[in-house]
Amino acid sequence: MGLALWLAAGLLIATAGIPRADEAAPIAQIKKVTGQAAVLRSGERRPANVGDTLLVKDVIETGPDGAIGITFIDNTVFSAGPSSQIALDEFQFDSNNFRGAMLADMRQGTLAVVSGDIARSAPGAMKVKTPTAILGVRGTTFAVQVYGDH
Amino acid sequence: MMWRTILALASMVLLAGCPRQALFVVLPNAEGGGVGAITVENGESVTTLDKPFATAEARAGGTAPTAETQENISVIFRSAIAAQPILPHHFRLYFILGSNELTPESKVAYRAVFDDIKQRPVYEIEVIGFTDTLGDLPYNQGLSLARAAAIRGALVRDGLDRQAISIAGRGKRDLLVATADQTPEPRNRRVEITVR
Repeated sequence: MGLALWLAAGLLIATAGIPRADEAAPIAQIKKVTGQAAVLRSGERRPANVGDTLLVKDVIETGPDGAIGITFIDNTVFSAGPSSQIALDEFQFDSNNFRGAMLADMRQGTLAVVSGDIARSAPGAMKVKTPTAILGVRGTTFAVQVYGDH
Repeated sequence: MMWRTILALASMVLLAGCPRQALFVVLPNAEGGGVGAITVENGESVTTLDKPFATAEARAGGTAPTAETQENISVIFRSAIAAQPILPHHFRLYFILGSNELTPESKVAYRAVFDDIKQRPVYEIEVIGFTDTLGDLPYNQGLSLARAAAIRGALVRDGLDRQAISIAGRGKRDLLVATADQTPEPRNRRVEITVR
């Protein structure tokens, strides 16, 4: 009994400092905003502000005059032009070994990307989905346009 | 060979009849880092783009390489590229043996790190400390963390936001230059800093 308690306490201490693969952990930060830009989270739309953090499943949106630039924790950089909608569907990253996986759903608009540690970690680790095709990223700089009226 | 050409031509003709749904472009790598590549896959075909300004398009019939002028590409993506944040940058600073004090050269290099951070409207900084293999594991774990903490302390003293700076120590487990145990090596006595 006494030993079990000590073991449990030891485990608690041992795990306290390890970041969990938490759904609520920030995956990116908004670095730049021009015109109208918003973040759609859990069905709620809020204006995008420089310095705000983003979570997995967030959707970034820009208006007809809007643009937004964000940097992910793996150092991937996204920047979207006007009338864009991009969902951050999947994101996992382990900063100890620089491995992870990422899937962005590009629904509409223009997106320029400079890939980071995730794309470097393994072929196929980073993907951008469009309505008709899937883009696999080997690195590093590319752009995608998805037309709105498909 | 000939069949492949005919097939490619046929698919281009078929694709040309449908409206374009998406455009994919490889851009010259930012800050001169190598040659980039992407693949575009639609279930049936995989198109690989591995040269600057190589372009593919998706139409109802599938995806295929296409040609788009650099002028058109820069017009289409002008706003997206203009919205690009300052890219993340990496730095290494080196320390005096057994100490959390920077070498004289790295004291100068520290200013470049600070200047890089200062030009960013918002920033996140990661500082990871390392040691050479002289001494035991616990000692080097402590020393590596002390090195990272010293850099955070300096950045905070210089006016940066402590909340935006994370630190970690990897001790002697992650050498930049492989050495035997108990070997002094200046290049392993370092912090690696990511600024984004």
